[in-house]
Amino acid sequence: MKPPMIMALSAGVIAVIAAVGLNRREALDWTLPQNMLNFGQETDKAPRLVNNATTQQPAAVLNEASPPSADEIVAQAQGQNPGQGPGTAAPAPAPSQEVDETALRYFARQGDTKRLQAEIARLRALYPQWRPPADPLAVPPQGDPKLDAIWKLYSEAKYAEARKAIADRQAVEPAWQPPKDLLERLDVAESRERLINASDLKQYQMVIRVASQTPSLLTCSDIDVLWRVAEAFALTDAMSRAEDAYGYILKNCDDPAARLATVEKAIPLLPRDALDNLFALERPGADGKGEFQAARIDLVRRTVGDAGKDPQAQVRPEDVAALEAIADADGQASDALLLGWLYIGRKDFAKAENWFAKARKSADSAEASQGLALALIALQRPGEAEDVLYPWRTASDDARKTYLAATANLLSIEPAVEVAPAVLERIVAEAVAARDTATAQQLGWYARSFNQHETAGQWFSTVLQWKPDDEPSAYGLALTRLQLGDRAGVAEIQRQWAGRSERIAQLGEVGTNRSARRPTPSSPARGAAGPAPEESRGTVTSPTVSRNQGSGQRRNCTATDLYSQAKGQAALARGWCLMDLNRPAEAAMAFEAAMETGDAATRRDAAWGQSLAYLRSGLTDQAAVAAAKAPQSRDRSIELQTSILTQRATSFFEAGRYTEALLALDQRAAIAPERLDLMVLRGYAYLGIGRRNDAKRVFEALAASGDREGVKGLATLNNVDQTDR
Amino acid sequence: MRWLATTLAALITVGTAIAQPASDAPSITTADWQAYRTKFLDPSGRIIDDANGEISHSEGQGYGMLLAYLAGNRADFDLIWSFTRTELLLRDDGLATWRWDPKSAPHVTDINNATDGDILIAYALALGGDTWKAPELSRAASDLIGAIRKTTIVEHEGRSLLLPGVSGFSATDRPVDGPVVNLSYWVYEAFPTFDRIDPDPVWDAVYRDGLSLLKEVATGPRNLPPNWLSLRASPKPAEGFPPRFGYDSLRIPLYLARAETKDVELLKKLGKGMSSDDGVALVDLASDTVTETLTDHGYRIIPALANCVAEGTAVPSELRNFTPTLYYPSTLHLLALAYLADHPGACG
Repeated sequence: MKPPMIMALSAGVIAVIAAVGLNRREALDWTLPQNMLNFGQETDKAPRLVNNATTQQPAAVLNEASPPSADEIVAQAQGQNPGQGPGTAAPAPAPSQEVDETALRYFARQGDTKRLQAEIARLRALYPQWRPPADPLAVPPQGDPKLDAIWKLYSEAKYAEARKAIADRQAVEPAWQPPKDLLERLDVAESRERLINASDLKQYQMVIRVASQTPSLLTCSDIDVLWRVAEAFALTDAMSRAEDAYGYILKNCDDPAARLATVEKAIPLLPRDALDNLFALERPGADGKGEFQAARIDLVRRTVGDAGKDPQAQVRPEDVAALEAIADADGQASDALLLGWLYIGRKDFAKAENWFAKARKSADSAEASQGLALALIALQRPGEAEDVLYPWRTASDDARKTYLAATANLLSIEPAVEVAPAVLERIVAEAVAARDTATAQQLGWYARSFNQHETAGQWFSTVLQWKPDDEPSAYGLALTRLQLGDRAGVAEIQRQWAGRSERIAQLGEVGTNRSARRPTPSSPARGAAGPAPEESRGTVTSPTVSRNQGSGQRRNCTATDLYSQAKGQAALARGWCLMDLNRPAEAAMAFEAAMETGDAATRRDAAWGQSLAYLRSGLTDQAAVAAAKAPQSRDRSIELQTSILTQRATSFFEAGRYTEALLALDQRAAIAPERLDLMVLRGYAYLGIGRRNDAKRVFEALAASGDREGVKGLATLNNVDQTDR
Repeated sequence: MRWLATTLAALITVGTAIAQPASDAPSITTADWQAYRTKFLDPSGRIIDDANGEISHSEGQGYGMLLAYLAGNRADFDLIWSFTRTELLLRDDGLATWRWDPKSAPHVTDINNATDGDILIAYALALGGDTWKAPELSRAASDLIGAIRKTTIVEHEGRSLLLPGVSGFSATDRPVDGPVVNLSYWVYEAFPTFDRIDPDPVWDAVYRDGLSLLKEVATGPRNLPPNWLSLRASPKPAEGFPPRFGYDSLRIPLYLARAETKDVELLKKLGKGMSSDDGVALVDLASDTVTETLTDHGYRIIPALANCVAEGTAVPSELRNFTPTLYYPSTLHLLALAYLADHPGACG
């Protein structure tokens, strides 16, 4: 004798559900019937659903030989002969209990095999002694068309209308009682709809509650419901219950597609150990291989993928090996990507490079390029990284960040490698567009390493505008000013950073190493690339941001417009913009307009701008006038005066007006340290007016410092002496 | 007994089954119910709000079940309940989702509840379970009433309040003016029944506090309350809602009458305030201007019923005839007619 199937299985399901109910008393206890709660009370570990099920046949599969199958019954009812004459089937033994076969006969007449089969399963579970009739049509129908009409509503899934029809009939025939079977089936069908609706709305506690109230829903004949209940457990953190529910299906249900789908549904929801338990329930497939082969690949992909997102996550070597084999065999970019990220997370950058390169080869994408770039940066090959990622730099914020990490690293290589002008140009454009302080700062150091001090200073200043507390850039700027002999400028930075940076404070002191090393970008290791070319001519473009930082907008000032109506701030912005375009004459006009129409701050900036514009035009006197138009900060006025005097000295010298040149140089020396090139100028100026001793003293000082111009100067002096004799 | 011993005794008389048909004759005639269901009840069991894009909602389902009960029609009750249970009673907390749209999939697009809908459904279930000796309905009623008590009632500054929905109305959810309530969500007649099935002092408190709040805010030139009330500080119209006596609030006198209120002064005030020459006034309370006048009989019968209960004024005979128009006024109309049917001889 077989135990009653559905009931026994359901007891297991109830136990599982009841245990959850206990854990979530607040939500569930007021709906769980007492008998369900009893199951889970002994221990926290509720009896496992599968324990009750292991020895039993799956509920929905009636593989016993003697009773006819639903198909056969239907075939008979439809007047077909499935190879077995109507009379040859063994007559069903008289049921020991009265079994309501109304539904069964109705479904047989309708030819509704699916429902007929479910009904046979249900009745057999309820009445183990009962056997389905050999021919459901042999017994005359009860002749109750009204009841048939209700069954029809039921079979059309019009459950509410069936309810109404029952009540309507009872109103007319008070003595009539609907078959108990009908009411039960309606209840199950409504509960099923409710469960599915709740599941669709992610109301997982309601899903579990409905399942607990209607355990007969939980059979292999309706595997979707089982899946939804299992999912509800998993998504309410009842993982072992979820595992039980999936395991229940795998132990009891036979449909191969449903079994495979079951493990696939479990994969994203359950922890790996639980999944291993489920995979252990694998059966051989039709081809002799395990039936879960396809799901196993999914599992490996997911496991490796998760490990790629979380470097701390455990990943089994056999999983990695399996995915590598698949990736090699199938060549799918997606698999190669998973492996690439895994190795990035595991800091095995050579392997990461290999897989990302394969992914790109198969299908180039932002993700593959970004991964490859990261690996290359880590492998100290930032130039390649820049090249790989440049086309994808705008694909995402991450891609842009990686790109800028590559550029910063590329520029930070020491000794500096020459970057191709075209590449440098695009790096500059990206750094400015993204206001990337790391790359901009490295552009400063890069320019410095090629002795382009003015440019370096501009980059460092630019970074400080974006990020005023960037100490390395302040340091770089101070170094640059020192290099250019701008003592006052250095002092100003030192004042600003007093107490915040020891190395800035110590700058210029005796013994300070002037060829300070640059800081390196924080992201992956900087490379020791080959030696820099002897005569490097790498040029670093000046930052092209307009100086009115903060307004954040770059105006289009390319159109020549001498009669621009721009006023105040707008005129100021236009002035800086024109300066960027190296059109100082127009810039001076724009600054003039800004001075006439702007407020005090604008006037000050405009005067400063106009001075610079005139200086750039070589109009030194106008520059001096402009500088006096509005009071400037000490910094600015020293910088301006220095520039003006430098230009003056140079112009006078070139005009052969040596005395005036010397005067300008003296004035300049009063406010700023004399640059070496100006000392050379001074030497020749002395020579020009016959102050040979003074000239000699200057050239000797220069030569003593190793300056070749000094040596040349002394040689010139000697030549002149010889000529004179 | 405890119920009757409270201060409520002064205000109301609570029968054991207020809405139960007094005799075999139903409170709503077969013909009226037939007319209503033909127009608003879909064969699938949902009540259609034909003024709102043919959607259904928990309020409509609750009204539908209550009207079917009052019409003595178990079959239609079962039909509506089956739909309600399978399509709306889906929330984890056991309450009904408030909105069901035939045009969207899934049909429920907003998981929030509407507490008056829950109350109406639970109340109808409780009545049906009692009258028809149907334990499955009583069980469902008990579950839902428990869920309403646990989930939608908040204590705020000494008051027991019904939140209009679980999300979006509490002091936390509305930092500026929460909690926000809607006084027309107090279906007063339901609370004594709830207390009988789910005995708890809070039902008494909710009833009492709703009523006292109503009296507190039914002030101004017309003595009318706003639809949406902020209780953050002293009661005032809630942010983001027009400060209006509107479609929601106009059913308050109906609910009071159906709950057998003895506070005739309140009924009189509300009935007078909402009446305009030829109908029911919707009033902008900030400017005290009538924004709309409703002439549907389903609306007009409400002040008529208030005047009848308060002063014995006869309800005009044309209002006693039911012809379905739109879902909402027709529903209110049948509820008012059911009251009149249960009080033969009253109101002319």
